[in-house]
Amino acid sequence: MNKIEAKKVNVFYGDKQALFDINMDIPERQVTALIGPSGCGKSTFLRCLNRMNDVIEICKVEGEIKINDYDINQKSTDVVRLREKIGMVFQKPNPFPKTLYENISYGPEIHGMAQSKDELDQIVEDSLKKAALWNEVKDRLNEPGTGLSGGQQQRLCIARAISVKPEVILMDEPCSALDPIATAQIEELIDELKKEHTIVIVTHSMSQAARVSQQTGFFHLGKLIEVGSTDKIFKNPNQQQTQDYITGRFG
Amino acid sequence: MTEKPHTVKSYEEQLQQLTNNLVVMGGNCETALGNSIKALCNNDNTIAEAVIDNDTVIDNFESQIEQEVVDLIALRQPMAIDLRETVTALKISSDLERVGDLAKNISKRTKLINNNLPDNLTQSIERVGAIVQKQLKLVLDAYTNRSPEIAVDVWEKDEEVDNLTNLCMEEVIKYLKSGKENVEYGSHLLFVTKNIERIGDHVTNIAEQIYFLVNGSYLEGDRPKGSQPIVNGEK
Ligand SMILES: Nc1ncnc2c1ncn2[C@@H]1O[C@H](COP(=O)(O)OP(=O)(O)OP(=O)(O)O)[C@@H](O)[C@H]1O
Ligand SMILES: [Mg+2]
Repeated sequence: MNKIEAKKVNVFYGDKQALFDINMDIPERQVTALIGPSGCGKSTFLRCLNRMNDVIEICKVEGEIKINDYDINQKSTDVVRLREKIGMVFQKPNPFPKTLYENISYGPEIHGMAQSKDELDQIVEDSLKKAALWNEVKDRLNEPGTGLSGGQQQRLCIARAISVKPEVILMDEPCSALDPIATAQIEELIDELKKEHTIVIVTHSMSQAARVSQQTGFFHLGKLIEVGSTDKIFKNPNQQQTQDYITGRFG
Repeated sequence: MTEKPHTVKSYEEQLQQLTNNLVVMGGNCETALGNSIKALCNNDNTIAEAVIDNDTVIDNFESQIEQEVVDLIALRQPMAIDLRETVTALKISSDLERVGDLAKNISKRTKLINNNLPDNLTQSIERVGAIVQKQLKLVLDAYTNRSPEIAVDVWEKDEEVDNLTNLCMEEVIKYLKSGKENVEYGSHLLFVTKNIERIGDHVTNIAEQIYFLVNGSYLEGDRPKGSQPIVNGEK
């Protein structure tokens, strides 16, 4: 079943068109990887899926994006509720200027997910454990989140994103600043999360896309060149451009 | 489909090197097969000796290719066409190594045959030997040209190899039956004939690999089979 269906999506930054007629189905409880050279529009497309492009003044999105069969681009969409359901981990880690604890507890608290302090503590601990950060921070939960290393901050943001149990998790290069151990832990987490969540991940690592995803879409110059099962894309893609890209014959 | 070169030149060179080694190894196998049959039919021990000696060259190519494949997989993580290039090189090299072994075995038996064989026998062996040599040459062309069409031709012609092998077997059996004194040489010739047929089987394996290499899918259906074998082997 498709969780998300994008139809004829066009995106403009001012006069410049960044995405051209993107049609893409994103199956439920699977990992979809978006790959393609820098500037091809992966992040732009990802941001369409929870209307994060709204915050960019000059950005205009056209077309239909249905999540659970509901077109999120309707005026009446409650964007705050939407982003609660469609969580996001950004390309650059962006912890709140608060304590580590508060970075995680903030979401569950405002959504009334915890009945007691104990429950909230538990959510914070679980989220940090899932994001493979618990052991490193369990003794310093009251320190500011911004005091962590880049890779730790990224895992903090992942913990924050999953703490509210979103239906869909969008990840924009979540491992680009992580060491191989943390990367493996995040990949394990993604495997685990896909049992209950739908995940869309942008990655520049071909091997990561191959490892974690079931579906892969290849973007080039704002167009979706090919989308298909990850197996097919990495073993025998239909498009020459896809093959050139994944085998390192580009440009 | 000819591919653009890789952005990373050393990667491109590594893959090229792998292909080159396989082609040279294949050339060595062609020579070994041709010479092993020539030596047998002309009762020429010097050539037989050369075939036996040269087998280490073929073996070394196999280990060299194996090493290169492991390096490529470990250090380059090839994808799509590159992955198929890498994996098929490994498989083809192991088929070629077997071809070398079988040719060597023919030559070892040649050295144990000290008299000239009857003409009808050498002619039968030469005939099946010639078609297998041609098949081997064609499959190597298919590899060099990345041509699934040639590979399919080779694959389909295996039927003819099987038929000629069976005819040759009949000749050898007649020879065996015609006198006790023929038992020793006749037994060697049974193995020689079987060896040639097996080389043909390795050639069709290689043809299948080339098809997979280029198309990313497997040659479908059963290969046409020739007449029923007289001597039932493992097939
Ligand atoms: N805020 C913005 N204002 C103007 N143009 C933008 C903006 N964000 C992105 N673009 C343009 O849109 C195109 C697609 O950018 P996008 O960030 O989606 O690419 P990407 O595939 O995510 O690249 P990368 O792999 O480098 O993150 C680029 O040409 C980029 O310059
Ligand atoms: Mg991006």
